[in-house]
Amino acid sequence: MGPGFRMTIGAGPGEVGRVNAAFAEFADAQALPAAIRRSVGVALDELLSNTIRHGFAKAGQAREGGEVVVEVELCPDRLRVTLSDDGGPFNPLDLAAPDTALPVDTRQIGGLGIHLVRRLMDEVDYQRRADRNVVTLAKRLDGGG
Amino acid sequence: MDITTRTANGVTIVAFAGNLDSNTSPTAQQALDGILAGGATRVALDFTALDYISSAGLRVMLGTAKRLKGAGSGLHLFGLNETVREVFDISGFSQILAVFAAEAEALKGF
Repeated sequence: MGPGFRMTIGAGPGEVGRVNAAFAEFADAQALPAAIRRSVGVALDELLSNTIRHGFAKAGQAREGGEVVVEVELCPDRLRVTLSDDGGPFNPLDLAAPDTALPVDTRQIGGLGIHLVRRLMDEVDYQRRADRNVVTLAKRLDGGG
Repeated sequence: MDITTRTANGVTIVAFAGNLDSNTSPTAQQALDGILAGGATRVALDFTALDYISSAGLRVMLGTAKRLKGAGSGLHLFGLNETVREVFDISGFSQILAVFAAEAEALKGF
């Protein structure tokens, strides 16, 4: 196991910000290249805000107790991120990619976040495992992809 | 997220420092709403100190650009770092928003 951290957040406002702050601190301590740190920062924001907005709401009941476990691990050649939540089954990768060629008047934002994650990361995977949604990401450190 | 505003040649320049994400975009929205409510029609966003932007921030940019469409007005952006530029390219925003390399071009482009 390489260096990393693990934290659990709830669904409240500011919880995604706590992960951003923890990740920024980890990235500084490990001297991660700025491009890697920023790309992963975007991916974390997209996926966590999605989960809190859609995943927890989908159960159709109050989900104040919902939690997301965030694990970050620095491997020799890549940064690995695992996000696991206890919301209802929700595969963010099912969201259709938006039409990115539409003009300003008709552009919609829906689905754009996941589109960004797919393009910024080298690997994105979803599994429903033991009543949890588990999304894993990998970003190569050599800047490829 | 720090937001500072200044004026040059009749253009309101709004500088963002930090991240424009789900956490900070409401603050950015509020700031831009206030600037537009104050009558600004030519607005340039200085992204020189912006670390990254996610779709929540893009939503704010799109809404502001739509409201500034029309003769003699507009939204210009400059100072994008490599990652912000990549996000703009992937999302197609490089084509639909007026992106400039530096402040001088952004101010002249209206």
